Amino acid sequence: MNVKKLRESQWFGILILALMTVLFWAVFKIMAPETFGSYTKVLTYIKTAFIYAIGGCGLYFICVMGPFDMSVGANIVLSSVIAVTASKYFGYAGLIIAPIISGTLMGLINGLVYMKLQISSLIVTVGLSLVYEAIGIFAANGKESVLSTDYRAFGDYPWNIVVAFSAYFICAFILKYTKMGTYAYAIGTNEVVAQNMGVNVRKCKILAFVLCGFFAGIQSILTISYGTSMTSASNLASMSRNFTPLMGTFFGLAFKKYGHPVIAIVVGEIIISFMFNGFVALGAPTTVQNIITGLALLTIVTLTTKPIKGAVVK
Amino acid sequence: MAELLLHAEDIDKKFGITHAVNHVSLDFYKGEIHALIGENGSGKSTFTSMLTGIYTKEHGRFFLEGEEIHPQNQVDANRKGVAIIVQEVGTLSGLTVAENIFLGKEDDFISHGIKHTNAMNRKAQELLNSYGFNHIDATAVIDTYNFEERKLIEIVKSTHFNPKVLVVDETTTALGHEGRRELFKVMKKMKELGNCVIFISHDLEEVLEQSDSISVLRDGVLIDTVPSEGTTVDDLRKLMVGREMSGNFYRTDYGEPISEEVVLRAEHLKVPGELRDFSLELHKGEILGIGGLSECGMHEVGKALFGASYDREGSVTLANGTIIKDIPTAIKNSIAYASKDRDNESLVINDTIRDNICLPSLENLKRNRILHNRDMNAFAEKFAKEMSTKMEGVDQFTSALSGGNKQKVVLARWIGLDSDIIILDSPTRGIDIKVKADIYARMDEMRKSGKSIIMISEEIMELLGMSDRILIMKDGALQGEFLRSEELTDEDLIEQMV
Repeated sequence: MNVKKLRESQWFGILILALMTVLFWAVFKIMAPETFGSYTKVLTYIKTAFIYAIGGCGLYFICVMGPFDMSVGANIVLSSVIAVTASKYFGYAGLIIAPIISGTLMGLINGLVYMKLQISSLIVTVGLSLVYEAIGIFAANGKESVLSTDYRAFGDYPWNIVVAFSAYFICAFILKYTKMGTYAYAIGTNEVVAQNMGVNVRKCKILAFVLCGFFAGIQSILTISYGTSMTSASNLASMSRNFTPLMGTFFGLAFKKYGHPVIAIVVGEIIISFMFNGFVALGAPTTVQNIITGLALLTIVTLTTKPIKGAVVK
Repeated sequence: MAELLLHAEDIDKKFGITHAVNHVSLDFYKGEIHALIGENGSGKSTFTSMLTGIYTKEHGRFFLEGEEIHPQNQVDANRKGVAIIVQEVGTLSGLTVAENIFLGKEDDFISHGIKHTNAMNRKAQELLNSYGFNHIDATAVIDTYNFEERKLIEIVKSTHFNPKVLVVDETTTALGHEGRRELFKVMKKMKELGNCVIFISHDLEEVLEQSDSISVLRDGVLIDTVPSEGTTVDDLRKLMVGREMSGNFYRTDYGEPISEEVVLRAEHLKVPGELRDFSLELHKGEILGIGGLSECGMHEVGKALFGASYDREGSVTLANGTIIKDIPTAIKNSIAYASKDRDNESLVINDTIRDNICLPSLENLKRNRILHNRDMNAFAEKFAKEMSTKMEGVDQFTSALSGGNKQKVVLARWIGLDSDIIILDSPTRGIDIKVKADIYARMDEMRKSGKSIIMISEEIMELLGMSDRILIMKDGALQGEFLRSEELTDEDLIEQMV
């Protein structure tokens, strides 16, 4: 196998991800040996990374086609509130099923409104975020929703792994073994040609939003189980919950050429988790953390994407 | 008498005020290669686009083997037995070769909602091998292949299911000699199997060579259908244009001396994977032709001279000593460039004719530092009309124009800027003879007015007919040089190319 082939192989992508993970761990471990990176702490970092990676998987379906969904945060808040309420009546069944249904429903609404209005997905999903936040406040009566101690198994190992890996498996399976996966890439490349090839672009885009909502619903199960409570958001306060999953999606997009976007999303979230926690361990102010995390993300994606010279980037 | 396969009855389509296809009725027979020819904008592609579900027809009916068909899109047309190989890129980046071949037909590999990727890859590789394209890997992402190889993949995609009707829409212009041979082989096979090929091409010699019958469209109206046998290129020209056209629309002057004055000098140009070591001198008032096989590196020369190549080594220097390193410097120093890939590299396709023509001249069009719509309209109209662009108005989007008219917009842009050095890559690619004649006449005028032109072309007759000097390239380097002469033949050039 020549060098060019090796660099394009799927294993090369996985190797880069693995090396980056070790590198980030090692850098922070050296800088803060006492407060960062012990075995138990790494398990905690990974635990949070697994949660965000689920939302990253959902966003991947949308971002790979071109649009964005900025309502994932509001979806998670509302679905978590619904999950707490449902768990009071139906136990674990309510905790699992209710947020998945509500998340998927919100995804469907996003998709339908986006296709119906034919305006920017950013505007549609930001607008709907305000609606979802308001519904969340009504649903929780403005109070904090606390998950009963009887239903917190998904907040820790091993059940969080079961849920998270089930979600990753579903995402990877859809991308590789269903028409939706192929069509998502086809639409992202050239919507008109895809349409001429018989791809129902409208249906696929709505389905992408539905899938995004579905994964946001799953993320809500782990979010509420790990955090144990959720306060309803207003004035787009939920927006900050969009960015960590979105960063994982960027990793997925950057590494999709190696054929394993889901692995890249998960490992990407682990790297981001190392960085956030590393800065906390170093006692760096939040502003510095944000600057360095943002720059590191841009550097990683730029170095790994290696765009074709002259290719148009939008 | 051959058996009727496809009957088009009273097909009609309008785009705004343009009557693109005007009540056309046509018959296509089994075991026939039926050419459709006509000037740009004559309605050939619109007619076949309706047949293949890319456009919806406003009126008329298609009957395939006596049964009426209404394709909704290309895949639906495929299911009904009609396929098309389009003029521009018809494959999608980011997908594998196999996914491209079976795009829209994944159901053949799906059971219980699960796509069997391995089975799809296997089948795609079998198909590629059966066409002799063993060098193409079905599992590879299609981006790893060049334009021509992607066209070969498209041939497999459009023909592997043995369609009853195959439309080949101006595909040969995208292919080199080898690619054309492969395409003609496939067309011949289709014919032998009793199917019909509808062949659209502006190369009239090629049309006469490959087809059995030829239908001519002009301004959306069917003019005539003639058998290829016994028909000459001049007969076809007459039918296409509606008047007698002189057989030779190239330059007729020979023996004119080339100016001693060098306006541009390129030395030791190297571009990884494209140019090995290439140098040239361009003289004032000269048309310098550059030819070769499509992958010889000649298309990169245009980019390298214009400062548009990446990782270029060597130098490009103007007579005044200015070094051309990038595109802004090139434009500032009166160099113009029209790329072979018109839609992606020359035009802002989703913008108006006005904006496309005015784009490099915006600085000159400013009045009191402000751009005025009226000035831009007047400027664009002046140069669009000078190039006889067929349009509804300068506000029309370039995407709605035919290939020839798009090229006229590109040329109008640079004429508007009054560039002194004009680099034209495949200036008449996919363009009908009338527009070709217009472009040649314009080039000759420019030459006479002291402009210098570099014409990169895969058409040997064009090189022989228009150039003062011809450089032939092979494997990214200069292979031979010829001076304009009546004695120079296509064999002389081909000998150097291969």
